[in-house]
Amino acid sequence: MTILMVALKYLRGRFVASALTSLSVALGVSLVIASVLLSRGIQQGFIEGTTDYSLLVGAKGSPTQLVLNVVFRMDVPTPNISYSTYGQLRDDPRVEVAVPVAMGDAYQGYRYVATTGGYFAAFPWRRKTFAISEGRFFRDDPPEQPMYEAMLGAVAARLTGLRVGDRFHEGEEMAEYPMTVVGILRSTNSADDRAIFFSLASYWEMNEVSRKMKVKPLTAVLVRPKRMSDLAGLHRGVNVTAETQAVFPSAVLLNIFNVLRLVDEVIAIILAFVVLVVLLYLFVSMYSATLERKREIATMRALGARRATILGIVLLESCALAVIGGALGIAGGHSVAYLGASMLAGRGGPVANLFAVGALEPVVFGSVVALGALAGLLPAVLAYRTEVAENLAPLS
Amino acid sequence: MIAGGASSAAPRPQRRLMTEVPAAVTLHGVKKAFPLGNGRTLDALNIEHWAVSAGSCTVLTGPSGSGKTTLLNLIAGVSLPTAGTIAVHDTDISVLPEPRRDRFRAHHIGYVFQTFNLLSAFTALENVMLSMMFADAIPKPEQRRRAGEILARLGLAARLSHKPPQLSRGEQQRVAIARALANRPPLILADEPCASLDASTAREVLDELLSVCREAGTTLLVVSHESAVLAAGDQVIDITTINRPEYRVRFVERV
Repeated sequence: MTILMVALKYLRGRFVASALTSLSVALGVSLVIASVLLSRGIQQGFIEGTTDYSLLVGAKGSPTQLVLNVVFRMDVPTPNISYSTYGQLRDDPRVEVAVPVAMGDAYQGYRYVATTGGYFAAFPWRRKTFAISEGRFFRDDPPEQPMYEAMLGAVAARLTGLRVGDRFHEGEEMAEYPMTVVGILRSTNSADDRAIFFSLASYWEMNEVSRKMKVKPLTAVLVRPKRMSDLAGLHRGVNVTAETQAVFPSAVLLNIFNVLRLVDEVIAIILAFVVLVVLLYLFVSMYSATLERKREIATMRALGARRATILGIVLLESCALAVIGGALGIAGGHSVAYLGASMLAGRGGPVANLFAVGALEPVVFGSVVALGALAGLLPAVLAYRTEVAENLAPLS
Repeated sequence: MIAGGASSAAPRPQRRLMTEVPAAVTLHGVKKAFPLGNGRTLDALNIEHWAVSAGSCTVLTGPSGSGKTTLLNLIAGVSLPTAGTIAVHDTDISVLPEPRRDRFRAHHIGYVFQTFNLLSAFTALENVMLSMMFADAIPKPEQRRRAGEILARLGLAARLSHKPPQLSRGEQQRVAIARALANRPPLILADEPCASLDASTAREVLDELLSVCREAGTTLLVVSHESAVLAAGDQVIDITTINRPEYRVRFVERV
């Protein structure tokens, strides 16, 4: 027999109460774990999913909307800009690369993104790499000869079931312009996994307005200057025009994080209350259990148990409840977070792989056990101070 | 061996020569008063001198409220006297610091209660092993075997894994006796050990208690009113003959 065995026997002796107490700890821990994982996952998802291009040029309006739509494929598309904007930027001596992008409709919810090969090109400064897992990249067809070649992001390919060589179109009115899958990309852990890429020529031909009006609309241009010192000049130059705006995606991302941080703060306050309630429940549970067995405690003392031993038994009980609840809660929290993440990802939200999210568990687990000890402290002291002679008297 | 007291039992032959036997328990000038609030105290005990000889079975009797349980608690060291010394096998337990008193109690004193006081979450075997755990005198691997042996000796070999509610009252008190004997203490204190049992069970349990104590040469101090217990003791002491509180209730002057 050891003190730990005694504590565990006592917990088993009041199984229902112990199970419920552990469960409440588990639920509290689950909530904390799930919220922190999801919040970090979303933030990480935004960071991983952002573009390598330092400047985004689009129609005047909300910078956040422009970035959300062009980079993360969320929100509604911003108004079009003219192709000449792209031409000017491409020809600007300060610009190293300019990539035109046009956001179109969607096929089964997977956004059409018309662009050029520049979008996928590898540069020494790019973190992001695009690789083909099947087939090949679509061709940058000349404007007069659209080939309707489509290249699918990994998720779009998997979930639509389209394979290389398949032809598809969304809706009856597009039946005249069937697209052919020529390639499937490897996963990039970004919104590009959910996109269907094809050439601008195909896009302009499929789009009724541009076809009839003979215009070449774009949604945005991604820009990389040759020197970072030119970034501010380019930014200013674009913004003085009447139709276009230039935004720094990283600055917009910071704004988004600021909003998320506000949400996180609210959640943190709620979580603090949850922790407090769980702590209180654990305390009440241990307190009443201790009150109920003052006689048994007195008996143990009469048998020679030291006060410290009694204190240890009650503290261990409380800690054991916290350990069980903490372990269940960490498992439960992960399950909830993964469920939430897959739901979010299913709707195209940016969520990083939650397995990659920091070493949260040891900290949470350690804190849960420490709080368990804290909740058990007063009951343990009550047990410690139990008067032996007083509590040994027969009950009758 | 008795000072300030006299046997109140019916005359019967003395089984031992008391004067030659060393004392297991010796009390000198022991007083115990309980505060009642409002500056009043209840004088529960005032024993000039009293000794219990080692290896004897002494039965302590007397009306309720006369201080019998208080005396047992003082000898066990679970409460402290207001004045005086209490020596158990030459150790004055009233001056020991509490942790040492607890340890002394675990090693030297077994306590049997009227209401058994078994720990309900534990089996018969575990109840006995718990006592060993508190004393920490028997090596851990030995504890299970020893506990099983003691319980078997008391006829509970088939009841080792039963919890208290699954045992009859007689069996529960046997487990309690086994628990008190677990660390082979030289002194067993029993507070009304048969009062919660029917007459025939009480007789059986008492016989077991006496026989295991005699086998081991353990001193037994029993508080009881039962005629069977009174008849079984080597001597019977009416506590009122040794305990003479000055006042039952008195006011303490506050300066």
